[in-house]
Amino acid sequence: MTFKAFILGMLATFGLPWLFAIVLPFAEMRGLESPQLDEEGEYYDPGRAERISEGSKIYGQEGCAVCHSQVVRPTYAGWDVHRGEWAGLRASPDQPDDTRRETLPSDYFDEAVAHIGEARNGPDLSNFGRRVEFYQKGKEISAEQWVYLHLYNPRGVKNYKDDQFIPAKSTCPSKRSLFDQVPLYQAGDDALALEANEEGFAVIPNDRGRRLAGYLLSLKKDTLGQPLPKDWTFTREAPKAE
Amino acid sequence: MDHTRDNPLKRFTSFWLALLLVTTFAIGALILWPLSHGDVETVADLKAVDRLQVKAEVQKAQTENLNAEALAEALANAAKAPSQAPSPGSMAVPSLAPESVSAEDPAESPEPNN
Amino acid sequence: MSETPSTTDIHDIELRSSIDRSLRHPVMFFFASGSIWLVLGILLGFIASAKKHAPEFLDCISWIDAGKVDAAHLSALVYGWGCQAAFGMIIWLMARLTRKECTASGIILVAGHLWNLIIMVGIVTILAGQGSGVTLMAFPSYIWVSLLVVYLMITLWSLVQFQVRDAGHVYVSQWYLLAGLLWFPWILGSAIFFVFASEGHPLMAAAVAAWFKSGVFLLFLLPTALASAYYLAPKVTGRPVYSYNVALFGFWALAFLGPWAGFQRLMGAPIPQFLPYAGAAAMVLILIPALAVGLNILKTIQDQKELAAQSPSLRFTTSGIVLFIIFGVLSFGLNTVPAIKMTQFSYTGYGLDILAIYGVFSLCAFGAIYFIVPRVTRREWLSSRFITWHFFLSLYAVASIVCCAIIGGIIQGQGMEDLSQPFGTMAERSSSYGWGITIAWAFLLVANFVFCLHLLLMWARLGRRSSHPTLLQNHHPESPHGPEGEIDNIGSVNA
Repeated sequence: MTFKAFILGMLATFGLPWLFAIVLPFAEMRGLESPQLDEEGEYYDPGRAERISEGSKIYGQEGCAVCHSQVVRPTYAGWDVHRGEWAGLRASPDQPDDTRRETLPSDYFDEAVAHIGEARNGPDLSNFGRRVEFYQKGKEISAEQWVYLHLYNPRGVKNYKDDQFIPAKSTCPSKRSLFDQVPLYQAGDDALALEANEEGFAVIPNDRGRRLAGYLLSLKKDTLGQPLPKDWTFTREAPKAE
Repeated sequence: MDHTRDNPLKRFTSFWLALLLVTTFAIGALILWPLSHGDVETVADLKAVDRLQVKAEVQKAQTENLNAEALAEALANAAKAPSQAPSPGSMAVPSLAPESVSAEDPAESPEPNN
Repeated sequence: MSETPSTTDIHDIELRSSIDRSLRHPVMFFFASGSIWLVLGILLGFIASAKKHAPEFLDCISWIDAGKVDAAHLSALVYGWGCQAAFGMIIWLMARLTRKECTASGIILVAGHLWNLIIMVGIVTILAGQGSGVTLMAFPSYIWVSLLVVYLMITLWSLVQFQVRDAGHVYVSQWYLLAGLLWFPWILGSAIFFVFASEGHPLMAAAVAAWFKSGVFLLFLLPTALASAYYLAPKVTGRPVYSYNVALFGFWALAFLGPWAGFQRLMGAPIPQFLPYAGAAAMVLILIPALAVGLNILKTIQDQKELAAQSPSLRFTTSGIVLFIIFGVLSFGLNTVPAIKMTQFSYTGYGLDILAIYGVFSLCAFGAIYFIVPRVTRREWLSSRFITWHFFLSLYAVASIVCCAIIGGIIQGQGMEDLSQPFGTMAERSSSYGWGITIAWAFLLVANFVFCLHLLLMWARLGRRSSHPTLLQNHHPESPHGPEGEIDNIGSVNA
């Protein structure tokens, strides 16, 4: 094998995937059209309005993606759609629409990188914001406060869905670096409702904490009450046990 | 053994050849720059088309319905009128009596009705 | 063993010793600082693993909270240890194989210090929560750019050396070295460009990062490890490589498959559907180069089992190559589409990563280090017991990590597919495997603490002044490394 043959072979074997698996898909995904809704030809809008790009970056920096995924796979790749309310809220007396759906490319709008996630040591967070807001509605702790309490001490807060304490076995780390301890008179409305507060002090989220909570509450990758995009359906029946 | 392969000139050209080789795909990426840069239409842009159309209609209707003469006349009148004149239905602000208990204490103030 | 060496032999020995001398400082610097990063990376791995099942562990220090410490752990292991060990191997092997002294060791040494500084800044940045936020490329973008520049300062000279080599046979090792040298800047440059420098779709940024992460092993660390194996196996046994053609086939199979892998991490995500399938197919087919390389090297050292038991370099290298075959088999089994369905979001991927980085690459790198260091320091290793401990603890620990991660991951994935089970049960079930992984990291920490200490003593030139290499079993009278003390005896022969 001569050096010239080696270089040509290297350029070809690397260049081919580089062009067809990186550059061209990259170009294709940039110019992706948003899916259209039924008939009217209206465009599907993920409709997230928080400080998403900043919050998404903090989500990555804090390493949430190590244990939490953010993708609801189509049924050929996994049963995510049928696991709990990962894919959206199910129909119930309070909630007439089944809002579950698979993930769309436009769901990651405004983020620098999609946090697909590495493992599911914790649940999928695609619809975390939707679930917390739905189940925390009308309770004494607001959805935002719930997220703060969870970030501060995941084992000290009741589950939003059934009011049970999240199992003491939860292995979610407490992210105290997202909070500051301040004298009580500086605390304001955001002070966490903690039972074990130091006398005369309160814990409030700092700027990073606020952004991350805002991002987490913006995670609503369901149908948002809108009809499913055109040509795009999935079977809502759970698979039969084999 | 061929000793002529190693000389400063050969080393010099090899250095630049090596630099060219390792940067091949960086150069490739720069050549294909248009594929990875430039504006793309987002959902927000697509939705903006409808929104801007409505906005244009509203503005057009507003401009059409604006009675410029009446407005100019009203402004001229307003300039003439004394600025401190009480408008119909207005009342004087009552001042706090010196000995009265102020209603500032939040504990005693009634909850706002919402 | 041999009589008076002839003049060409003396010329040859002098050449080799002058090559070793020209590279002593950079090579020892890379190995020594790399081994410190290795210990640090393993310590961080222990903490990260413990936090996965015991979240209160070290909870008071928010710098190392779960999530950040995971990224720091893998970054220290791959870029602190892996890349630096590879640099040491590359520059030494390339100089020896092209039979040219290194003329740029000053620049390489400076660049080596820069590399360490940059990695240190990068790790601190990650722990301070100021990384890039990209899961698989956790350093901020300026760190990646400076790493690329420093990389070129370290390795360009080896490419030049290859071009000015004496005409003659090119060894398989050299093709692997050259390929690794070129692939790394290609993947790193592309990843920086497409993840950080251009505004694309967030999913493609994630896909390119996954491709880069897979490429760092398949296209940089692995070729370097294989180059070392293809150098050491014939060198120590004194036999030619079993089949040059099979070696070339293995090389081109890797070159053909490697750049496609990585996208299987995004199976089911809404990206062009062929990407994850192509990635999965490439990972399945990695078995082909694994078998080709593995059998070729094992055939080369066949009939020399006694040597393999004696020589530390050969023992580590052989184990690394056997683990590469196992990696190929596991990769074949775990990357089929039904398997990915279960293992995509579980411990399994981590198990394969550790098998690749520690099992395959690091064991081959240890083999190379045990061979190279006595030659460049002209001292022998202090203790064969240290080497034996390092070997058995490493092998035991890496096997436990991989078994726990893969079995635990499959159980985790199975639970996830079984809709009748609540999520919590499944998470609990896999956590006992987490304990196994944590304990294994502790063993690995002990093993590599011993190794690091041993290597630092060698760096301080405190090795044995002896002409007898340190072997694992002392009853054999002959050295596998050729005539003993050949370099030290040149003077007396000349006199």
